[in-house]
Amino acid sequence: MTAHGLFTAHVPGTSLLHRMALWAKLAGVLLVGATPWLARSVWPLAFVSVGLAALVALARLPVRLLARSLRGLLPLLLVLLAFQWWSTGLAYAVRVVLGIANAFVAAGILTATTPVTDLLDGAARAARPLRRLVDPEVVALTLGVVVRSVPWVAGSFSDVRESARARGLDRNPRAVVVPTVVHVVAFARSTGEALAARGLVDPGDEGGGATDADR
Amino acid sequence: MGEDTPAASVRLAGATVEVPLDDSPGRDRTRTILGPVDLSLDQRRISVIGANGSGKSTLLRLLNGLVAPTSGTVTVDGLDTVRQGARVRRRVAFAFTDPLSQLVMPTGREDVELSLRRRHRSRGERRRAAQEVLERFGVDHLADQSVYDLSGGERQLMALAVVLATDPALLVLDEPTTLLDRRNTRLLRELLHSLPQSVVVATHDLDLALTAERTLVVDAGRVVFDGAPVEAVACYTALVDES
Ligand SMILES: Nc1ncnc2c1ncn2[C@@H]1O[C@H](COP(=O)(O)OP(=O)(O)OP(=O)(O)O)[C@@H](O)[C@H]1O
Ligand SMILES: [Mg+2]
Repeated sequence: MTAHGLFTAHVPGTSLLHRMALWAKLAGVLLVGATPWLARSVWPLAFVSVGLAALVALARLPVRLLARSLRGLLPLLLVLLAFQWWSTGLAYAVRVVLGIANAFVAAGILTATTPVTDLLDGAARAARPLRRLVDPEVVALTLGVVVRSVPWVAGSFSDVRESARARGLDRNPRAVVVPTVVHVVAFARSTGEALAARGLVDPGDEGGGATDADR
Repeated sequence: MGEDTPAASVRLAGATVEVPLDDSPGRDRTRTILGPVDLSLDQRRISVIGANGSGKSTLLRLLNGLVAPTSGTVTVDGLDTVRQGARVRRRVAFAFTDPLSQLVMPTGREDVELSLRRRHRSRGERRRAAQEVLERFGVDHLADQSVYDLSGGERQLMALAVVLATDPALLVLDEPTTLLDRRNTRLLRELLHSLPQSVVVATHDLDLALTAERTLVVDAGRVVFDGAPVEAVACYTALVDES
């Protein structure tokens, strides 16, 4: 696994961002995620990128790790850029790709300045009004698993690329994308099974009933 | 917890697992991959051996309701694994071969805290309980590292601390030593030996299988031997030589 020293891991600190309320940070991430839909040109997105860079500096997050994580994401972004350019146009493609990079960095800042446990507590609390529809603990758990999986997927992607390169196939997108998807699905299955085995997806206070998560 | 914890009692009655044959569109043809199995497991240390694809993992998955029997029943301490699945899973912990699929949080400490969420609502209590668990398994110095940065052996220890944090009565392990070197295999064996819980372990490591009180040999979905570990290993070896 090549996903060492990830940008998404928690970096303890005392900066403004570390002390900021979780809901404010979450709102910020959502806002950054929404900019590609709100923006009419590339400039607002570029402005957000600069702002995010300033926040990384403010929170004293390891820039080296950020650069490395982004580099891991780069091939994926390039494929996307090419595809959107071909299907829609260059301006749109740049907006999409910049939007994704921004969302990635914003989510990274959130997880780097917030212990996952706080994230889970916050998500569980936020989901409480919806508890007739979904178990807040399951919402929290899902979020935790997503946070944990991002580096795994990135690592899997570069592992697959390496083995494709070893076979001289790294210029062939299918030789990289297909095995990555297979890895990710297998990972999702085994993670789901491990969660089910730990009883973490069982209903909270129960009388009986197996979960539909079986199988 | 303590040494006087009673051994968990598992009953399988006519338990059978069938899977659909996917090459028969429309028709409901199935293949029996396990059973029928009738067993009472009351010993503290039980090992399960058998060839690849013989049905060991399927048998183990029945014990905490990860797989439901197509017919027959499986109970743990009187609780049905299907109808009372959630309560069964609170009594039965399951450890997989690959600890990375088991550890779902970025660090071990957070994962142990995750195990304890249902039990301790207050964050402070949860933190204290997690620290206690980490110390009990001697992994507190690894607890704040990314799970990706731990060695295979350290990860497997951490995964065990995570699933044992809730003090289950029974620990089920599916090939826990496959990814470990000799030294870590020995450490794991010693840890398993010291646990107050009942343990059921499926393994290709015959030395580990021999440390049990009772060994099941599975072949082509059937339990073909059930008894003393030494005889079980002889039976398994004979099976392999036959084919
Ligand atoms: N969900 C499923 N669908 C179809 N077939 C399955 C399923 N689960 C298991 N099998 C099949 O059932 C048989 C028993 O599988 P199982 O995983 O229990 O074997 P095992 O003894 O654990 O093998 P190994 O030593 O390789 O882990 C295998 O032939 C396997 O292909
Ligand atoms: Mg198996």
